[in-house]
Amino acid sequence: MKGDKPEEPGPGPEPSGPPPPTEEEEALLEFHRSYRELFEFFCNNTTIHGAIRLVCSQHNRMKTVFWAVLWLCTFGMMYWQFGQLFGEYFSYPVSLNINLNSDKLVFPAVSICTLNPYRYKEIQEELEELDRITEQTLFDLYKYNSSKTLVAHARSRRDLREPLPHPLQRLPVPAPPHAARGVRRAGSSMRDNNPQVNRKDWKIGFQLCNQNKSDCFYQTYSSGVDAVREWYRFHYINILSRRRQDTSPSLEEDVLGKFIFTCRFNQDSCNEANYSHFHHPMYGNCYTFNDKNSSNLWMSSMPGVNNGLSLTLRTEQNDFIPLLSTVTGARVMVHERDEPAFMDDAGFNLRPGVETSISMSKEAVDRLGGDYGDCTKNGSEVPVENLYNTKYTQQVCIHSCFQESMIKECGCAYIFYPRPDGVEFCDYRKHNSWGYCYYKLQDAFSSDRLGCFTKCRKPCSVTIYKLSASYSQWPSATSQDWVFQMLSRQNNYTIKNKRDGVAKLNIFFKELNYKSNSESPSVTMVTLLSNLGSQWSLWFGSSVLSVVEMAELIIDLLVITFLMLLRRFRSRYWSPGRGGKGTQEVASTPAASLPSSFCPHPAFFSSSPPDPAISPALSAPPPAYATLGPHPAPSGLAEASTSAHAPGEP
Amino acid sequence: MAPGEKIKAKIKKNLPVTGPQAPNIKELMQWYCLNTNTHGCRRIVVSRGRLRRLLWILFTLTAVALIFWQCALLISSFYTVSVSIKVHFQKLDFPAVTICNINPYKYSAVRHLLADLEQETRAALKTLYGFSEITSRKRREAQSWSSVRKGTDPKFLNLAPLMAFEKGDTGKARDFFTGRKRKVNARIIHKASDVMHIHNSKEVVGFQLCSNDTSDCAVYTFSSGVNAIQEWYKLHYMNIMAQVSQEKKINMSYSADELLVTCFFDGVSCDARNFTLFHHPMYGNCYTFNNRQNETILSTSMGGSEFGLQVILYINEEEYNPFLVSSTGAKVIIHRQDEYPFVEDVGTEIETAMATSIGMHLTESFKLSDPYSQCTEDWSDVQITNIYNATYSLQICLHSCFQAKMVENCGCAQYSQPLPRGADYCNYQQHPNWMYCYYQLHQAFVREELGCQSVCKEACSFKEWTLTTSLAQWPSEVSEKWLLSILTWDQSQQIKKKLNKTDLAKLLIFYKDLNQRSIMENPANSIEQLLSNIGGQLGLWMSCSVVCVIEIIEVFFIDSLSIIARHQWHKAKGWWARRRAPACPEAPRAPQGRDNPSLDIDDDLPTFTSALSLPPAPGSQVPGTPPPRYNTLRLERAFSSQLTDTQTTFPH
Repeated sequence: MKGDKPEEPGPGPEPSGPPPPTEEEEALLEFHRSYRELFEFFCNNTTIHGAIRLVCSQHNRMKTVFWAVLWLCTFGMMYWQFGQLFGEYFSYPVSLNINLNSDKLVFPAVSICTLNPYRYKEIQEELEELDRITEQTLFDLYKYNSSKTLVAHARSRRDLREPLPHPLQRLPVPAPPHAARGVRRAGSSMRDNNPQVNRKDWKIGFQLCNQNKSDCFYQTYSSGVDAVREWYRFHYINILSRRRQDTSPSLEEDVLGKFIFTCRFNQDSCNEANYSHFHHPMYGNCYTFNDKNSSNLWMSSMPGVNNGLSLTLRTEQNDFIPLLSTVTGARVMVHERDEPAFMDDAGFNLRPGVETSISMSKEAVDRLGGDYGDCTKNGSEVPVENLYNTKYTQQVCIHSCFQESMIKECGCAYIFYPRPDGVEFCDYRKHNSWGYCYYKLQDAFSSDRLGCFTKCRKPCSVTIYKLSASYSQWPSATSQDWVFQMLSRQNNYTIKNKRDGVAKLNIFFKELNYKSNSESPSVTMVTLLSNLGSQWSLWFGSSVLSVVEMAELIIDLLVITFLMLLRRFRSRYWSPGRGGKGTQEVASTPAASLPSSFCPHPAFFSSSPPDPAISPALSAPPPAYATLGPHPAPSGLAEASTSAHAPGEP
Repeated sequence: MAPGEKIKAKIKKNLPVTGPQAPNIKELMQWYCLNTNTHGCRRIVVSRGRLRRLLWILFTLTAVALIFWQCALLISSFYTVSVSIKVHFQKLDFPAVTICNINPYKYSAVRHLLADLEQETRAALKTLYGFSEITSRKRREAQSWSSVRKGTDPKFLNLAPLMAFEKGDTGKARDFFTGRKRKVNARIIHKASDVMHIHNSKEVVGFQLCSNDTSDCAVYTFSSGVNAIQEWYKLHYMNIMAQVSQEKKINMSYSADELLVTCFFDGVSCDARNFTLFHHPMYGNCYTFNNRQNETILSTSMGGSEFGLQVILYINEEEYNPFLVSSTGAKVIIHRQDEYPFVEDVGTEIETAMATSIGMHLTESFKLSDPYSQCTEDWSDVQITNIYNATYSLQICLHSCFQAKMVENCGCAQYSQPLPRGADYCNYQQHPNWMYCYYQLHQAFVREELGCQSVCKEACSFKEWTLTTSLAQWPSEVSEKWLLSILTWDQSQQIKKKLNKTDLAKLLIFYKDLNQRSIMENPANSIEQLLSNIGGQLGLWMSCSVVCVIEIIEVFFIDSLSIIARHQWHKAKGWWARRRAPACPEAPRAPQGRDNPSLDIDDDLPTFTSALSLPPAPGSQVPGTPPPRYNTLRLERAFSSQLTDTQTTFPH
């Protein structure tokens, strides 16, 4: 309402009432004829409080000084405050909000892995040589012989084949005994000729060299178990990468019934559409329930075991790869539906023969991106290519970053991370120094010399599932008979070692309340403007419109200056030749500025305020307006206006 | 014409036009713009040049729009909350701890009630999987049951027949009991047909539930027979137990002395008297520590496992119900004293032959209610009757809601939740088709068709204990011998057998530290802040104030409305008078009635057109002016009196 009304006085004067003549006389833009007029007009009509007193006070020097000091003080005050306010705003402070929501929750994706990459029988061929050499090494180093026949058999064939590169060796500890660390690097200068006294002085490790064997180092471990495992794993990766490239996923046991005996969600049984399958080189076959590809979304409308996922798993390990899979059970991970499952990073192992109840509580973190914090909305501005076809997370980025530098440095891709097109997985038959390169890179990576941790920014919104587990024996002594019987019958498979062969898992929401931590800017534009406004009003009592007034004044000044210069310039140069036109213009301006019909208007304005004291002041300056059109043809417009006046004033 | 115009101008000049008395809206506006303190308005009137004036109008309007926009933003964000987190260090009240054995009743005690059911379950297992007992003891018992069985009719299987379905063929089913094929005309509720072919067995197990008239049946299938049997057993079990009185059930379950072998709290020994009985329909007798009526709530003076609750529980695995529960252990729920322990839903399980340490960390949360969020303090604004004897929580509300719907739709209450007033638990003698009804209702509940989720609001304040569980082997190899023998001697009154380590579980519950974290919501904005912000906006853009706003209301609403009203009134009057006196000889004198607002408008039109089309204006206007004056004497009189009035006030 308030906004509409002031329109009326604006267009009003032109069509109605007394101004019909004015409407003709009034040009598009009118300028004052002199600075004095301009200033007088400004002083009379400005809304800036201090300025009126300072500039427009009558020539009382005392008063002027007084007002000047006051004006400067308040001006300083105001700008100091403005500085503070802007400083606060541009430091982009955030305030943390914690919301406690209770809502129906979307069930997260749950990935479960068998902890065994391949069935031993099926991969035995490839692993045979490695196993033989491992056993030989174990025998050499520790006098351990697992199966005599195999060793004997191996020994007989030992010379037939070339030995594997990077043999496991026993190494003496160098003189400074800071060897407590698990993984350390020793220079290639290390020699084995020191006489040893204690087994503590020995370390187990293997040698890795670069391309031309000029630089070598030993990857050493304090414990033989670690060394053997790591060494085995290193060779296994090579075998795997050969396998990966030439075979189809024929070895993947994609039969749900073989690993997952029963599956229920929310009191309903699951079906094939609810899960997807992927193969992890270390953790074996993994099944992801309720991921982004699954047909229907799982929701939990109530907390509790009955409204969660309940699985019975087979955890037998009779066909595990003996030297690789040292853990039995299953590995489970809870993650967001559109995130990849990093079983290494956030897994949870299940014990066989036990019912594991994992209760989750959800927590969401939302950060403000942009100026407010260093986070990325979707990873598009992070200079690392996302090798996983999933949503951006920091883990995804770090893994992609490592793979990227791996390819750049070593020329091949690390098998545990996805490989881009046209790059091979590392294998020492093709890339004979990749081990050297990898361990160097790993070292650089963990000390952040690769810059991965700085490159990869936090995502702005993260969902965290906090897990807490509790255990109970399963199945119970009284029920195990029929449970085992039924499970074996159902799956045409006999569970041999009873309790160790099965595990049960329940995953459910502990509560429907979830906490969301979000950030909000603590100084918004609105509050900033309000604060500026209050400061401004407090010290100056002026507003944005006053600033516009000032701007208008300045523009007017400039234009008037320009016009005056122009006039002087014209009168100087064109006085002889085009005097006629010049004189006409000079004549026209006073004529235009003093039309008889103009007189009533200031009188009319001045009569309207009830204060009689102002009216003489207002009427005193004669309405001296120079009607001037746009700059290109000021004289033409003046002429037009004068000609227009002619019939109005007979 | 010229003399008329002159007179008009003169009158205008002499006539003091004050706000409310302004003759027309335009003059009122001019008066307002010249006198107001609001910036911008004065410039509209004062500045010269049409473009300049237009610009000023635009500036002013922009400023007004900005004020409105910003103030709207301020007001809309008024109901936001800020959160403060406080951490107190103080002596903390120990929460109530409810401990249940996973198995509800001693199997030896309830066996006589469940004998028929068990026998039929075994029969079904045998038909389906060829399962027979292995141990001699059980075989002997099985023989005795089978002899009993011959006389009776299999009522359980008739009520809800367990069936095996052929792969992909849901129409034909094999009845477990009779073994004969029978046609099933029913919907398969769970479409598990995809699963079937990946299982090696070609059959899917399920059971059929029918409504009263058997015309509408639903078949529930399970991907695994284990689940099917358990679910089927549970249904019948609930049926049977619903008919048993509460006292009898309590007697059949474990006593406090039996369950709690030792108890230690805050360094002081405690015993069964410190626990109160809580009977849960599905978990039997549970015992709650630190929940005694009329007693002060215990508190711990220190954090750490030494100062918490330490109990050793006796879990007799031999007394377990083989079909109802398949896991062994106990359940622990940590809750507020006035809260209901939801044993079924949440609860930490305790493993036998293990020491389970549970470290707690207390977090309290307080939410702001109504305008800020949709939470509730108590039951007053939720249209659901509380069937639990406990304070409000979302979960209680949902369960109560479901139970109420159950009573409404099926006529009886579900067994695992408390009984609402005037209803009784479902059993198939009185409510033959409650199972069908329950399953339908539960599906509807999960799909949120019952409206419970929208009725129930979250609670405004809650306490939460974050638990960290750790496990250790207990008792250790070396301590096992003496520990078990001492405990056997201790418990010889209750337990008439030598204790085994798998019969026992140790539980430690303690505060990790005595820090209490409270998360509190506070209003982010107060009224003063809102006002000062709005004031800031008004000042920033237009240097306006509340007085300005009042002024605007006065001028734009009251005054202009009164002017318009006066206008209309005069118009009507004039029109009326003209009709009365169509011909008036004194018409030429009319020009003096300039000030009359009704005339102004009439007068304006010809002048405006004349202004637009200049050349014909002088010619057409001169002859035209005298005739169209239609004034009456009355109006003129009114004007003249006004004129004299104003002249006396302003002798100009």
